Amino acid sequence: MKAPNLHLNLLHASERQSSSPVRLRVMLPILALLGCAGCLVWWGVLAGQLMLVKTQSASLRQDLAAKKAEHGGILRQMAAERETRSELDQLTMYAHGRRTYGGLFKQLANVVPENLQLLSLEIPEPPAQNLLPPGAKPGPKVKPLLGPTGTVEAVSFRILGRTVKETPVEAMMKALEGAAFTNELLIVKGVPPEQASPRIRSFHQDTSPSGEGARLLAFDIEYRCAERRFEK
Amino acid sequence: MKTETFQDPSALMKRALFRSLLIGAVAVVLYMFCVEPCQTSLRKARTEHESLKDQQAGMVRDLKGAEMVKSRLDALQAERQAYLNGLLEPLLESYAMRAKSLLDPLAADVGLTIGDYSELPPRRLPLPVPQAPQLYARKPIRLTCTGTYATIVSFLLRVEEKMPLVSLEAFSLKTQKDPDNQSATIVLEWPIKGENTAAVAKGGVKK
Repeated sequence: MKAPNLHLNLLHASERQSSSPVRLRVMLPILALLGCAGCLVWWGVLAGQLMLVKTQSASLRQDLAAKKAEHGGILRQMAAERETRSELDQLTMYAHGRRTYGGLFKQLANVVPENLQLLSLEIPEPPAQNLLPPGAKPGPKVKPLLGPTGTVEAVSFRILGRTVKETPVEAMMKALEGAAFTNELLIVKGVPPEQASPRIRSFHQDTSPSGEGARLLAFDIEYRCAERRFEK
Repeated sequence: MKTETFQDPSALMKRALFRSLLIGAVAVVLYMFCVEPCQTSLRKARTEHESLKDQQAGMVRDLKGAEMVKSRLDALQAERQAYLNGLLEPLLESYAMRAKSLLDPLAADVGLTIGDYSELPPRRLPLPVPQAPQLYARKPIRLTCTGTYATIVSFLLRVEEKMPLVSLEAFSLKTQKDPDNQSATIVLEWPIKGENTAAVAKGGVKK
């Protein structure tokens, strides 16, 4: 073959098989260098960000340290507020459970008929508190609770007396249903006798030696009073 | 790129491959020992920074509300003080003595004779939620008195009027033959300071 110009073939045989116009022996190191440079730049950017965040954090820490004493005072006040509120809650429970009966006794004197003699008036003491944890049985190892789980305490009012016939008792019971007593005495009718208020515990012939003969009738009536509710 | 390229590489290609591998290895080392740890540190620093920012925001909020907290606390303390003024404090370590000092003048005013004062065991109050370190309890004091029915009732009315925290817990009146000498047993109840759980806890720690 005759050619007018001399062509020098500088391509190696293996390179002639590559489809890329840029030599692979040039491309590979450049790509590797670019990768390496990319990693360096990435690292640099990250380090810069880290420094910035750390500087900001240090500034925040300084700010927090400067306000710590003042903030501590406020936290103490907040804790005191919680404690005071809680104490107040318990004192309010007591106040809500307070009951007064002076008015009841004063009014009672006005409604007792003349032919009826009262022998005893009684508001019994409440039963002992149950301070056992729920489900626990009493024992030396059982630690009592700091407060009862129940918040309601039942109160009753017993009237014992004697009379010549039942009508004065009926008159007194009718009077005790009046508005003057509704704050203290509960009137519950139309229920089983043990749940009723008033409940006539006994009404019988008076046989006591102090009685004036067998003509007198003794009675024992129990009223349920408004419960004491130790609640907020 | 064909596989034949790497089957019989020229010397130049071999050198280029070696350099590329070397630089690649440096890049991997850079990533593993510089970029990755730096990323982890940055993540941690950002988390910490966010937490500090939250702390600061909370602190600023608390500081802004300081006046309100103070006024609320003052109001609550004033409200509690009204109750504390009505608590029964022991006199010479005796609640009955204190009750006597408070009730005798009222009884004298109405002409009632109180013969005996005795302390009954305290009764606990339900616990508030959250539980306060200082708890309160109910202290019953039993008094035995003699007088007419009217004086007993007057005494009760005066106690209820003058002592707004005193409650009648129990009452028993058995009529006597002499109407001027009725005998009554009255159990009056005051609030008292109960257990201080904070002090108890401190005592426990000391042990």
